[in-house]
Amino acid sequence: MQLPRSRGARRRRDRAAVLGLSPVPLVTPTADRRPPRRVLTGTVLDASPHLLVLRTPAGERRVAMSGTTSVWHGGRADLAALRPGRSAIARLAADGLAADRVWVEAARVTGTILARGRDALEIDMGPHRGRAHVDLPPAALGQVLVRHPKLEPGYLADVICVRTPDGPRAVRPGTSQPGHRAAHPPGPARGAAIADPVHGTATWFGDAVATPGLGAAYPAVDAEGDAGGCADAPDGCAALPLLSLGSEIRVLNQCTGHLGAVPVTECGCVAARYCDRCVECGTSPRGRVAELTPAAFVGLGGELETGCFNAFLFHGAGGGQEARPW
Amino acid sequence: MVTVLQNTQVLLLSAVLLSAGLAKLTIRERAAATLRHGRRTGVGLGLAEGALGAALLVSSHSAVRIGTTMVFASATWVVGELRSRRADVGCGCFGGLSDRPVDRRGVLRATLLTGAALVSIGAPHAGLEVLRRTPVQVAVLLAVELALFAALSPELAALRERLAGGPVRPSCARRRSTLGESLARLRASDAWLAYENAIASAAPLDVWREGCWRFLLYPARVEGRPAGLVFAVSTAERDRTVRSALVTAVPAAGEARAIAKSTAL
Repeated sequence: MQLPRSRGARRRRDRAAVLGLSPVPLVTPTADRRPPRRVLTGTVLDASPHLLVLRTPAGERRVAMSGTTSVWHGGRADLAALRPGRSAIARLAADGLAADRVWVEAARVTGTILARGRDALEIDMGPHRGRAHVDLPPAALGQVLVRHPKLEPGYLADVICVRTPDGPRAVRPGTSQPGHRAAHPPGPARGAAIADPVHGTATWFGDAVATPGLGAAYPAVDAEGDAGGCADAPDGCAALPLLSLGSEIRVLNQCTGHLGAVPVTECGCVAARYCDRCVECGTSPRGRVAELTPAAFVGLGGELETGCFNAFLFHGAGGGQEARPW
Repeated sequence: MVTVLQNTQVLLLSAVLLSAGLAKLTIRERAAATLRHGRRTGVGLGLAEGALGAALLVSSHSAVRIGTTMVFASATWVVGELRSRRADVGCGCFGGLSDRPVDRRGVLRATLLTGAALVSIGAPHAGLEVLRRTPVQVAVLLAVELALFAALSPELAALRERLAGGPVRPSCARRRSTLGESLARLRASDAWLAYENAIASAAPLDVWREGCWRFLLYPARVEGRPAGLVFAVSTAERDRTVRSALVTAVPAAGEARAIAKSTAL
């Protein structure tokens, strides 16, 4: 269930009116907090060693390329991967002049394994995303098995893929598989206090075509009224407050210091089943605090092929850390 | 030796039933579980378990022993079903103390207690009589069994937390509060009464939640002009407060239609 952008903004205004809070997060430049990087998501129209032209939802955009621009297409690739018609996510360098990284046809499939064939997986990605048939070539199978020892129905899978005309093709594991079955995620203790910020792991979902904008699937969306949550979603591994579609969360990448405000655009009932850790720059506590769209994840300093970053999620009603609007 | 084993099970089962009944009567389950079973059912179960535990102490009649066995066999089935079908809820075996999802230990505990109930069917004495005699073997065996029972019971940690004054109630930000509960609280509030005549529709246009607050947006007419009334209802377990604000910007026609459609769905 997606929420119109205007409705989310109106909800935030109404909340501010009734609780007497600031509706717009303010910019707070601090030494250890950095604003999100600029990201462009779209379809490749043209590419050369000096220029990448993308068709984005906002129209045609040109991005300068430099000798240090790194291209990913299932692994490190050269400019030949930037073929017209392919989806791409370009992150600009900190100075905003040229792209520092471009991911081509990146996608991620996360969910419960329904069936495993000799070289394919059938994965249930949850009530909002449907099912996916993932091609699992022998080159990727070994890597996936190292971090997914129970590659069998009923267990969770998380694979980074490349989009192909025949469907997603796995290239590497997203994160290490949690040991529990998908149907039995261990939840937080009932009386567990909710920290602000909540420390956990932030991952990403979807691809540049299906989830092009900035947003997050949040694991604790309320199921009552028009909040947008799923009635049968588990409590989630991290102790998170119940929010709604349109609520705003602020995510800090502990590894890079990037901090940004992201609207909740989807119920993260799949993320709530993962009781796993991220081991980028230290080991995070168990539990996914947010699943970000590729653009949000990359803008906050994440690398799509890595799959996660160690994150702090600020949810305080007007308090806590403030973040710069993107 | 067989008699000692049988007599010990009578004491063990009586202790478990009495403590389970007491916990059900004194420690309420959280809202989600209460909605499934109802508070009256919980009280009824607690009284029945307490009565069965007391009957084990005073009577050696086979009907009491068979009834006990059937209760534990049923509990084993229920706990097994919860583990396979509802991984997000506790069994409520010890009232509000059993709010964590059922794990392997919970199923093993119920199975062992069913086995103990089967063994106890042939016990020659009632519980109080065993206590009066209290042979050393019974005391030792009972202590071992109680230690095993404690090791298989996550409720002890919850009880320790409660006794230590820890956060036993779910935080209002995570508490599963129903829409019906919020509406009932809202309509009994002064904020609702103050604006009752201005509200143009009995059904809210939009309902959403952020942490400890559920927000309800109603269409209203103030001095002949359309407006929106936003109510914030606390989701706390007790002392739920209500706040309100009049907003001039009401949802656009398109959004209002979309909200009405999604509400109808």
